[in-house]
Amino acid sequence: MTALRRNATIAWAIARKDAIAEVRGKQAAVSTLTFAAVVLLLFGFALGPDPRRLADAAPGLLWLGLVFAGLLGVGRFHELETEDGALEQLTLYPVDRRSIYAGKAAIGALAMLVLGALLVPLVAILFAVEIVRALPVLSLTVVLGAIGFAAVGTFYAGVTVRMRAREVMLPLLVLPIVAPLLLAAVKATSAALTGDPLGELPAWLELLAGFDVVMLIAGAGTYGFLLEE
Amino acid sequence: MPQTTIYASPRSVGAPQELPPAVATHELARLFGGNPALAGVTLSIPAGRCVQLVGPNGAGKTTLLRILATAIRPSFGSAAVDGLDVATHPELVRSRIAYLSHATGLYDDLTARENLAFAATMLGLDRSSSDQRIRNALDEIGLTEMATLRVRGFSAGMRRRLALGRVLLARPSLVLLDEPFAALDADGIQLMERLLDRWHRSGVTALVASHATEHIAARADATVELEGGVIARVSGEGVIARPPKREPTAGRVIEVAP
Repeated sequence: MTALRRNATIAWAIARKDAIAEVRGKQAAVSTLTFAAVVLLLFGFALGPDPRRLADAAPGLLWLGLVFAGLLGVGRFHELETEDGALEQLTLYPVDRRSIYAGKAAIGALAMLVLGALLVPLVAILFAVEIVRALPVLSLTVVLGAIGFAAVGTFYAGVTVRMRAREVMLPLLVLPIVAPLLLAAVKATSAALTGDPLGELPAWLELLAGFDVVMLIAGAGTYGFLLEE
Repeated sequence: MPQTTIYASPRSVGAPQELPPAVATHELARLFGGNPALAGVTLSIPAGRCVQLVGPNGAGKTTLLRILATAIRPSFGSAAVDGLDVATHPELVRSRIAYLSHATGLYDDLTARENLAFAATMLGLDRSSSDQRIRNALDEIGLTEMATLRVRGFSAGMRRRLALGRVLLARPSLVLLDEPFAALDADGIQLMERLLDRWHRSGVTALVASHATEHIAARADATVELEGGVIARVSGEGVIARPPKREPTAGRVIEVAP
C-alpha cells in the first residue's frame, strides 16, 4: 500500500468514525442546526422588516450563521476524542499524523456543507432572496468556504482540545484567522446573488481557493505537533 | 529519598546480545510542572521477557510506560524500544508496541465491532485479515454476542476487555500493560493471565505495571520496583538496572541567601 493510499484510508476511517458518532449522538447535530437557524432569525429581527435591507445583508448573515455553527461542529469532532482517553489512543497508532488532520478537516468540511445546504434555502426564505439562478456559483462558494473554515477550525480545535476552556478559546483563536475567508465568501456570495455586475466574482473565488490551499498545507504540516503532550 | 538498592542478574550483566534489548532506557527523566515523575531510570530488558513493574502510587510506573508507548516525551535521558529511540523514531516504535492504559480509548457511540474495525484500519491491517482478527479478538475477549452493541452501555469490565481486544489486533514485539487486571472479573483475570502466558511463549516482551502482583508474580521473569521516580530494586533474571547518576530534585530544600 503506498503511503498516499494508506494516508487516505486513515483519513477516511477517521472521518467515517466521526460521522457515525455524530449521527448517532443526534443531540449535538440537532442543536448545531437549531443554533444556526436561531442566529439567522435573530440577525433578521435586529435588522428590521425592510426587505431591501434584509436582502442586502443576506450574504453576510448566511456566512455568520455558517461560521458560528461551524465552530460548534469542528470543536465537537475533537471533543469526541476526549472520551475516555481516545485522543491518546489515536496518537499512539502508527500513522502519519497529517492523515489524522485530513480526516478531521474532511468531516469538518462535510459538516459545513450539510449546514450550508440547509442554511442557504433558509436564508432565501427568511430574507426573500432569489437563489435558484445563482445556485452553481453559490454552491462553489460554500464548498470553498467550508474547506477553508474546516482547515483553520480543525487546526485550532487541535490546539484547544486539551484545554479546559476550549469552548471559549476556539472562537477566540479561529475568528480572527478566518476574517479574510469570511470577507471573500460574503463578497463572492453577494456577487453571485446580484449577477456579478462588477465582474469581481472570479477574484473572490480565487482568494477563497488560495486561502484553502495555504491553510490546508499549514494545518497538515503543523497539526502533528499539537498532539504531542 | 529511599536507600537505593540495585540488583541485577549476574548471568545477564555484560552478556553479549545480538539483538538490541526490547527496552533500553538511559538516565530517563520526566518532569511534570517541574516535579520529577521519573528521575534517572537506566534499565535494559532483553526481548521475550515478562517484567513486572511495581511500586507505590506516584512511583513513576505509568510515566515510564507512557514514555515507552510514545505518549509523552522524556524530559531528559533516552528510551529505546528494539533499539529505536522513542523520541526520534516514534512512528516506528508505535508499530512495534501495544499499550493498554488506564483509559480504554474507546468511542462510546460506536459498537464494539466498529471500535475494533477502526483500530484495525489505524493499525494498517488489510480488510481480509482484519475481519478475521476482529472475529478472533471478539471471541477471545468473550464479547462476540455484544459485538453490535454500542460501547456506551458497556460496564467498566466489558470496556476493559474490548480495549484488550484492540491490543490483540496488533502483532507487537512489546506489550505495555498498565494495571491490566483493573475492573476485570474472574473470567477477565483468567483471560489476562492466558494472554500473558501466550505472549511469553511466543517471545513477546511484556512490561506490566500492576498492584495485583498475585496474578503476575508466577509469570514474571523479573520484577522492577520503582520508588520516587527511580529504580529501587530489581529481582529476577535478565533485567539490568543502574542507579541514577544524580539524585532527583523532588523534595530538596533550596535555601536562598538574603
